[in-house]
Amino acid sequence: MVTDSETGEVLIGVNILVLNEGMGVATDENGEYEISNIPTGDYQVEARYIGYISQIEDVTIGDGEEAVLNFELVISTSQLDELVVTSFGLEQEKKALGYSVQEIDSENLTVGNQANVVNALSGKVSGVQITNTGGAPGRSSRIIIRGVNSLDPSADNQPLFVVDGVPIDNSTIESGGTPRGMSNRAADLNPNDIESVNVLKGAAATALYGVRASNGAIIITTKSGQSGETQINLNSTVGFDRVNKFPEFQEVYGQGFGFVSAPGNSFWPNWGGKYSETPGTEYNDIWRDATETGVSFDNSINVSGGNEVATYYASVSNLDQQGVLPFGDWGRTSVRLSGDIAPKENFKVRSSINYVNSGGMRVLGDRFMESMMYWSPNADVTNFEKPDGTMRGYYNDGGSGGNPIYQAKYWTYEDNVNRIIGNVTFDYSPVDFLNIVYTLGTDFYSDQRTEIIPGPRGIENENVVSSTGTIEETRINSRDINSTLNITLQTDLSEKINTRLRVGNDIFDRDFNNVVSTGNDFVTPLFYHLSNVRNISLNQNIRQRRLVGVYGDLMVNYDDYLFVNVTGRNDWSSTLPEDNRSFFYPSVSVGFSFSDIVDLPDYFTFGKLRASLSQVGKDAPVYATSNTYNTPSVFPLDGQVGFTRSNIRGSADLKPELTTALEFGTDLRFFENRLGVDFTWYKSNSKDQIFDVPISNATGYSRIITNAGEIENQGFELQMTGRPMQTQDFVWDVTLNYSRNKSTVVEVAEGIDQILVGSSFGYAGSSASIQLLEGEAYGNIYGRSYERYYPAGEAPEDPTFLDEDAPLLIGEDGFPVINTDQLVLGNTQPDWIGSINNSFSYKNLNLSFLVDVIWGQDVYSQYDNFFTAFGITESTLNREDFRVFDGFTADGQRNTQEVWLGQGIGPDGVDYGAGFHRNRERAATENFVLDASYIKLRNIRLGYNLPQDFISNFGFRNINLSATATNIILYTPFDGFDPESRAGGASSNANGFTALDYPGVASFFFSVNLSL
Amino acid sequence: MKNVTKVLLITVFSSILLLAGCNDYLNINDDPNNPTSAPALGLLTNATFETSQNTYRIGSTTSYYVQYLASPNTGSALDTQEPLSFGNDWFNLYDVLTDLSDLELLAEEQGATQLLGIAKILKAYNLALLVDSWGDVPYSDAFFVQTLNPSYNDQSELYGTIFTLLEDGIQQLQQQNSTINAGNEDFIYGGDSSKWIQLGYMLQARYLNHLSKQSSYEPAAVLSAIENGFASNEDDAQVTYYDSQVNPWASVAIANAGLILGGWISEQTVEHLDGTTYGVEDPRISFLISPNEDGNFVGVENGAGRGNAPESGAFSVLSTDNYYAARTAPLVIASYAEQKFIEAEAALSTNPAQPARAYQAYLDGIEAHMDKLGVDTVEKDAYLNDPAVAVGSAALTIDDIMREKYVALFLHPETWVDARRYNYSYANMTIPANLNQDLGGEFIRRLGYPDSETQRNGQNVPDVNLTDRLFWDQ
Repeated sequence: MVTDSETGEVLIGVNILVLNEGMGVATDENGEYEISNIPTGDYQVEARYIGYISQIEDVTIGDGEEAVLNFELVISTSQLDELVVTSFGLEQEKKALGYSVQEIDSENLTVGNQANVVNALSGKVSGVQITNTGGAPGRSSRIIIRGVNSLDPSADNQPLFVVDGVPIDNSTIESGGTPRGMSNRAADLNPNDIESVNVLKGAAATALYGVRASNGAIIITTKSGQSGETQINLNSTVGFDRVNKFPEFQEVYGQGFGFVSAPGNSFWPNWGGKYSETPGTEYNDIWRDATETGVSFDNSINVSGGNEVATYYASVSNLDQQGVLPFGDWGRTSVRLSGDIAPKENFKVRSSINYVNSGGMRVLGDRFMESMMYWSPNADVTNFEKPDGTMRGYYNDGGSGGNPIYQAKYWTYEDNVNRIIGNVTFDYSPVDFLNIVYTLGTDFYSDQRTEIIPGPRGIENENVVSSTGTIEETRINSRDINSTLNITLQTDLSEKINTRLRVGNDIFDRDFNNVVSTGNDFVTPLFYHLSNVRNISLNQNIRQRRLVGVYGDLMVNYDDYLFVNVTGRNDWSSTLPEDNRSFFYPSVSVGFSFSDIVDLPDYFTFGKLRASLSQVGKDAPVYATSNTYNTPSVFPLDGQVGFTRSNIRGSADLKPELTTALEFGTDLRFFENRLGVDFTWYKSNSKDQIFDVPISNATGYSRIITNAGEIENQGFELQMTGRPMQTQDFVWDVTLNYSRNKSTVVEVAEGIDQILVGSSFGYAGSSASIQLLEGEAYGNIYGRSYERYYPAGEAPEDPTFLDEDAPLLIGEDGFPVINTDQLVLGNTQPDWIGSINNSFSYKNLNLSFLVDVIWGQDVYSQYDNFFTAFGITESTLNREDFRVFDGFTADGQRNTQEVWLGQGIGPDGVDYGAGFHRNRERAATENFVLDASYIKLRNIRLGYNLPQDFISNFGFRNINLSATATNIILYTPFDGFDPESRAGGASSNANGFTALDYPGVASFFFSVNLSL
Repeated sequence: MKNVTKVLLITVFSSILLLAGCNDYLNINDDPNNPTSAPALGLLTNATFETSQNTYRIGSTTSYYVQYLASPNTGSALDTQEPLSFGNDWFNLYDVLTDLSDLELLAEEQGATQLLGIAKILKAYNLALLVDSWGDVPYSDAFFVQTLNPSYNDQSELYGTIFTLLEDGIQQLQQQNSTINAGNEDFIYGGDSSKWIQLGYMLQARYLNHLSKQSSYEPAAVLSAIENGFASNEDDAQVTYYDSQVNPWASVAIANAGLILGGWISEQTVEHLDGTTYGVEDPRISFLISPNEDGNFVGVENGAGRGNAPESGAFSVLSTDNYYAARTAPLVIASYAEQKFIEAEAALSTNPAQPARAYQAYLDGIEAHMDKLGVDTVEKDAYLNDPAVAVGSAALTIDDIMREKYVALFLHPETWVDARRYNYSYANMTIPANLNQDLGGEFIRRLGYPDSETQRNGQNVPDVNLTDRLFWDQ
C-alpha cells in the first residue's frame, strides 16, 4: 500500500517498479498494488508519484513467499526542510537564512535547451536581468542581479560563478576593434552536468565570498553519483535557429539617388526610382536571403553510480551549432569526471575534473549588417563570389560594394579554447562538533584566436575586402587558483540554543597573459601566415591579481524558529595601494519563522520574516595605482623607440569600494505548500566607486582613475509558486516572478558631472551616448533632438530631459530644426521585469511554457538611423509626399508651410537637396531612441515519457521525447530586429545600443532522452 | 578537548604566519606592461613623429575645405562642410603637447638645453595647429591635470604664447653644452640645432604673417624673422617616411588603389594646374597628381561626387607615384618655398611696399618648389618665363602670390589659413555643391569642438558656429 506520509491518505496511480527487472505496476483506487511471479532473490523497489519524493526500498523474496512492502511518500513540494547551497557549497536550510536565495533545479534549467548556462536562467529568477545579446552561436550573455552597482563604465557588474564550491572564470574577452560577441567563459559549462543552480542576490548572501561576489553569486552544483545502481543517461537534441523578427522593408524604390535609378551603378541602395518604373530591375528580399536556418546538434551521455563508500559521475558531451548568418558556428566538447570517496566514516574526499574544448568561427555581425545596409536590393546578395574567387559587389559591374556573405566567408575570426576546471576537497570531522573542509581548485584555459582579413589577389578591377590584408594571432592564457579552508564548530549552548561557528581562509590567485601579434600587408596573396607579411607588430598584456581573505560566520539558532547570523570578513587585495590594502566588512541577518510559535489558521502552512544588513567590499582593477609611459605600436621605427605618456592617470590613494545593503523579506506558504509567496525589498548603496572617468584630453590624459561617486539600487522582488490543480493524473504548477529595480547615480566625482559609459554612431551628428549624471537614473541615453517651441519667456532654463510633448519648432524652410544640445531621450533600465512559468503534467505528457517580460526599457537603434539615411524601411515610403509639419514657427504662429519630403527639385520647384530623411530626420537622435519592451515566449516545451511498462521491457528506466521552441516574440513596440539584442556583448555596460549587431533568433528543438 | 585546542592553536598560528607573508605575496601591482618613466630622447622621438602625423591629420580635413581634394561620393560631409567631431585630431594634438610638456620638464631638470629648445618649437607648432583650427582652446591649465575641466584660453593670447615659445626655444637652442644631444632620435632634423633655430625663425615669420588682416600686423617684423630663417630647400622641416611605415598620404593612395576610396583630386586643383584657370600649364601637375586611365587630368567637383563614374579610372587621384604620396615621401612641416611666399606677401605689405623684393621672392619660391619636386630645368624655365607667371614686379599682386603658394603648399594645412586670410578668393573657387545649409552659402571658417569636449568638459566649451571667424580672420 502507498500512502501520503503527512495525511495518511492512500495514493492512487503510484508507479511501483522493481528496479533492473523491468517489472512495474500502478496502485489502484485503494492505494494497493500487487506484483506476481517474481523469482526468489533480493530486489530494490521504487515508488514514484508526481509531486512526491520517490522512495526506494529493499525487499527479499523468499521461495514461494509473499512480501508486503508499504510506502509512505513525502510531498516533494515540501520546502520546509529544503536545502539550498550558499557560500562555498555549504548547504544551509533555507529556513535558517535571513536573506533571499532562489534555486533552479536541473530539469528547469535545461527545459529551453540553451547551450549557454546564463541564457538558461532567463526568466526564472526574480530580480535577475539576463540579456541574450544576440543570436550568434557562442555569443556571450549578460547577467545582472539587482541592477548595476558600479559607475565605472568598464567594471564587471556580473555575479561570481561558483561550481562545486570553487569560483570559476566567467570573463568575456572581446575581439579587438568592433566586438564580435565572444563567449562569456561560463558558456563552457555543459548545462546537462548541472544538478542545481542557486542564485545569491544581495550583499548578505555573498558576504562570505567577498570582493569577487559583490554583484551576487551563482552557485552551481554539478551532478554526482548516487549510491545504488548505475545510471546511464543519453541525450540527443537537434535544433533549428531562425531570425525571430525582421523590420518592415520598403520594396518600391531601388538603387540610385534623387529618384534617378542607376541599377548596378550607384553607391546608394534605395534612393533611386521605382522598381516598377525601371525596366530590368526587381526587388530582392536581401535580408531574408542573406540569413539562413542555423542547425545545431547536442549530444551527451553520462554514467553515474557507486556504493556506500564511493560514488562517481562521468559525462561526455558535444554541441555543434551553426548560426543564422552564414559561415558562423560554435562548438563545445566537454568531458567531466567526478568522484566522492568516504574511506572512513568521518573523512571524505571529493574531486572533479572537467575538460572543455570550445570555439568556432565568429562572424562579425556588425560588419555583416553594415554591408547589408549599403547593399542594394537590386542585386542578389547570395551571388557573392566571382568565378575567380573575388568578391562580387553591387555596383560597377560587381566591382564595388562589400558583400556581407563574402566577408563572412573570407574575413574570418576563429577561437579555440582549451580549458580545465579541476578541484579536490577534503572533508574531515575529527569529533562530531568539528568539521574541517579544505578545497583546492584550479581553472585554467588557453584561448587561441586567429583573424584573417584577405588582401588583394592582384586581379584587375578586384573588389577587395582590404587593401593590404591582415592576420592577427591572439594567445590568451589564464590560470586561476582558489584555495579555501573552512572550519565549522557546532554546539548546543542550551536545549533551545544551538550555535554554529564557521571560520575560514580564502586565497585567490589569477595569472593572465595575452599576446597579440598583428601582421599587415601580405606578400603572397592567399597565404595567411605571420611569416608572409610586410609589417608586423606585437602587443603583450600581463595581469596578475591576488586576494587573501579571512572570515567568520556565526549562526545562532533559537528553538529552530529564530535564526541570527553574523558574519565578518577581512580581505587583502593586491590591486590596492599597500596602505589601503586591507578592508573589513560585516553583515548580520535574522530569520524568524513565526509560523512555528504563532497559531495560524490551517491554510497558512508556513510563514517567515527575514531581515539583513550587510556590507561587501570591492577592490580596484589591476595596476590602477600606476602612472606609466608606453611605447606606441609604430615603434621600433628605423631603429628608434618613442615613448608617450599613458592616457590613463592612475591613483596612489585608491581605497576599496563599499556596498551596504539592507534587505527585508518574507516567505509565506499556504494550503500545504500549494501556494507560496516570497517577497523581498532591498536597498543597496555602493560608495567610493573606483572608476576611470573619461576626461577632457586637454588635461593631459583621456581618463583618470579615482574613488568617488555613489550609486544606489532599490527595488523589490516577488516570487509566487503554486499548484492550482493536482489530481491523480494531472498536475499544474505555476511560478510567477516580478521585480522592479531602480538604479540612481547619487553622486559622481568632484569636478565631474557626468560619466560617459558608451556611445554609438549616428549620421549627421546624431550619435547617441549613455551618460551617468549626478542625481539621475543610471543609463540615460543622450542625443540630439528636434527643437521645441516655447512661448516667449517660458523656455526652460537649462533642461536635462527632452520634453517630448512640447510642440516642434519649425524653421524658415518649413522643416523641424535640429537642437544640437545633448538631452536625455530615454533610459536603458527597464521599469519592471516579470515572468510566468506554467507546467502541466498529465500522465506521461508534460507541457510547460515560460513567458518573459521586460517592460519600459529604451534603446538607441543605430539600425533605424541607418535605415532612414539609406531609405531602406517602410518609414521612408513617404518620400513623394507633401507635408505641413505640426508645430510653431519662431514668431509663435502655427506652421502652415507645405514642404516636400523627397530629394532634389520638388514638384513645387524648390530644391530639397538630399531630402528630409537625410537632411533632418536622420540628424535627430530622438527619432531612434525607441521603446524596446517585449513579451516573449521564452520557451515552450512538450514532452512525453514513454510508458513505463513498455520501456522496461527493453531495460530502460525512462525515455523522454520532447519538442521545444524558444525566444519567440509575442509582443513588442520595437520595429527593428529582436529588441533584446545588444551590441558589445556581456562585458559592455553600455547596455542600450543595438549598433548593427547580430539579430536575435528563435530556436526549435527536438530531443530524445534515454535513461538506463 | 586537548587535541582540539592543539589543532586550533596550530591553525591560528599558521594563519598569522601566513598573514605576515601576505604583503610580499600581494605586492604585485606594478604594471608589468609599461614603464613609469620615459627617457627624454624617447619622448622626443615620438613627438617628432607625431608632429608630422598631426600635420597630415589636419591636412586631411583642410584639403577638402581648400579644394585640393574632393570626395568621390555626393554630398560627403567633409566636402559639404558639415559639423563633424574631429575627436581623433584633437586627441592627438593634446597627446603630443602633453608629451612635449613632459619633455620640457625633463630637459630642464637634466640641463638638456637642446631638447628643451626643440620641445618648445614643436610645442609652438602643434599649438598653432590647434588654435588655427579651433580658436579658443585649453592651454594654461592643461597637460598636468591641474583641473578636470580645463578652461579655454583666448586665441589671441595663445598666439602670444606661441611667439614666446618660439623665442624661448631659439634661445635654448643657442646655448652650448646641452647635456643630451639628439641624433637620429630626431626624425625631423637629426639633432641639428642650427636648423631648429632656423625653423624657429621661419615659424615666427609664418605666424606673424597670419595677422595680416589685423591692425597689429607688422610686415617688417615678418621680414626680419625671415633673415634668420631657411636658406634653401635643405633646411625644410619634414619627416621622411619608410617602407615599413609609409607616408600617411601614401596609405591613402594605396587604400584608394584597393578601392577604399580617398585622395581624389578636386576640379579646382586640376583646373588650377592644367591651364584652364590661369592659361598656363604647370609642369608640376604630374608630380602632384595622377592622370585618369585615359591619360587626362580630371577633377571632381567638391560636394558633387563622381556621379555615375566607376570607382577607379575616371578621375585624377593621389598615387604612390606622386611626390607627396609616395611610400617614402617626406611629410612637410615647413618649407623654404613657403618662407619665400611669406616674404613676398610681407614685402608687398610694408609701407612703402618693396615690389622688387616681393617679386624676386615670389619667383624664388616657385623655383624652390620646382627644384624640390625635381621638375627639369627646361620646363621650369619655360614656366617661370611664361607671361602669366612672370608678371613683373610692378604688376605683382597678392593674387599671384596666393596662386603660386597654393601649389607649393599642396595638401598642407597652412593653405586653409591662407584661404581664410584671402577670403577664399582663388580664381574660380566656388562654394561646394550641397553645402551645409547652416553655413548660409558661406565658406567654413573654423572647426566645431569635438564630442569628447562637449561631453566631458561641456561647461567650458564655447558655443560656436562654423562661420565664426578666428581673431586673425576678422
